[in-house]
Amino acid sequence: MRELGKRASDDDRPLIERVRKGDQDAARILYERYFDRIYNYAYARLGRAEDAEDLAIDTMTRSLTRLDLFKDQGVAFSSWVYRIAHNATIDHYRRHGKVTLVALDHAQLPPSADPSELAVEQLSNEDLRVALRGLTDEQQQVLILRFFQDLTAAQVAGIMGKSVGAVQALQHRALGSLERTLQGRAVN
Amino acid sequence: MKPEAERLEQLAERLRAVDPIAPSPGAKIRGWNLVLAAVEQSATVKSRAHPMRRLVVAALVAAVFVVIGAVAASADSLPDSGLYPLKGVVENLRGVLAFSPADQLAYHLDLAQTRLTEAEAMIARHRIELAGKALSALNDQLDDAALVVQAEKASDSTAGAAMESRLQQAIATHDEQLAGLQGQVTNPAAISAITNARDRAAQALETAGTPASSNGHGNPGASPNGKGQGNGATTTPHPSLNHS
Repeated sequence: MRELGKRASDDDRPLIERVRKGDQDAARILYERYFDRIYNYAYARLGRAEDAEDLAIDTMTRSLTRLDLFKDQGVAFSSWVYRIAHNATIDHYRRHGKVTLVALDHAQLPPSADPSELAVEQLSNEDLRVALRGLTDEQQQVLILRFFQDLTAAQVAGIMGKSVGAVQALQHRALGSLERTLQGRAVN
Repeated sequence: MKPEAERLEQLAERLRAVDPIAPSPGAKIRGWNLVLAAVEQSATVKSRAHPMRRLVVAALVAAVFVVIGAVAASADSLPDSGLYPLKGVVENLRGVLAFSPADQLAYHLDLAQTRLTEAEAMIARHRIELAGKALSALNDQLDDAALVVQAEKASDSTAGAAMESRLQQAIATHDEQLAGLQGQVTNPAAISAITNARDRAAQALETAGTPASSNGHGNPGASPNGKGQGNGATTTPHPSLNHS
C-alpha cells in the first residue's frame, strides 16, 4: 500500500497563516506533510537519492520561506509546492543535464508469452522508473503525479496549468509512449 | 493481442503499484534543519523590514506635524515673513468654505481687518512697499464685501440692509484706524497709499449702496478682479497705488 504521509488538503490554510506569522511548529507540520511526497517526485524525475534530497529540501525551503508569494486564490498549496518542485527539476536539468542512470539498452525485461505483448506484471519498479525517465518532460510529470503521487486529473491539471481534458489526453499519450519504450527494450 | 485501452490501463495499474521511495531519516532531519534555518533567517529579514516601515511612518507623522505647525505659525505671519504665502493659501481655503452671503461678508471683513493690521506693522517697520500691498489687498476685500452686500440686497432687501450696515461699521472703523495711521507717518509714499486706501474704502461703500444691475456684478461668490481672496501674496499691487 502506497504511503506518502498525510494527503495534501485544504486544511493547509491555517498552517500557512501560522507560518506567515513565524510559527515554526506549523512549518514543521507542513514540512512533514510534503517532504516525502516531494522527495518521491524528485526521485522519480532525477533517479538519484542525493539529487532527490537536494531538490526536496530546496523545494520545501522555497515553499516555506516565500509564502508571501503564495496567493490562496483557488490554487491549493499542494499545487504550488509541486510547481516549485517542477521548476527546481527544470533548473536541475539545465545545470546538470538530463541523466539516465541505467541505459535502457542494457536492461533485461522478462519474456512474455506473446513476443509483441509486454509482461507488465513482471516489470520491476526500477525498470518502470528508468523507462519513465526516457519520456518527455510533460509525459513524465503527468504519469508521476497521477500514478506515483495518486493525484486526480483535476489536481494535476491545476499543477500543470492545463485543462482536465488536456491532462487526460496527455496521460493517454504518455502511457502509449511508455509502453513503446518498454516494448522496444523487450524486442532488443 | 489485447486492445490498446486494456493494455494501457494495465500499465497504469502497474505504475500505481510502484512503491514510493522514502528518504532516509537522516536526510529528512538534515532537510528540516536547513529549512528551519532558512525560515528563521526569512523571519529575521522580515522583522528587520518592520523597523524600516516604522521609520517611514514616523517620518510621515513628523512631516504632518511640521505642516500643521507651519500652518499654525503662518496664521500670525506678516508680509515680510517666509510663511506669509502659506497664510494666503489657508485664507483661500477658508474662502472656499464660506457658502452663505453672511459668511462671505464675514470672511471678507475679517481679511480686510487682517490686511489693515499687516499694513500697520509694515509701516512700523518702514516696509512701505509691503504696506502699500497690504492696503491694496484691504481694499480688494472691501470691494468684494460690497459686491456681496449688493447682491444680497437685490435678492433679500432686509438681509441686504443688515449686511450693508455691518459693512458701513467695518469701513468706519477701518477709516478711523487709517486716519490715525496717516497722522503718524511722514513718508510721502505711505501717506499716499493710506489716502488712496481711504478713498477706495469709501467707493466700496458706495458700491454696496448701488443696485446690482447698475454695475453688472451679480455673483457674490466671485472675486471681481481675482485679488479679493487670500492675502494677495502672489498678486501684483493694486493699480490705484500708482495713481496717487
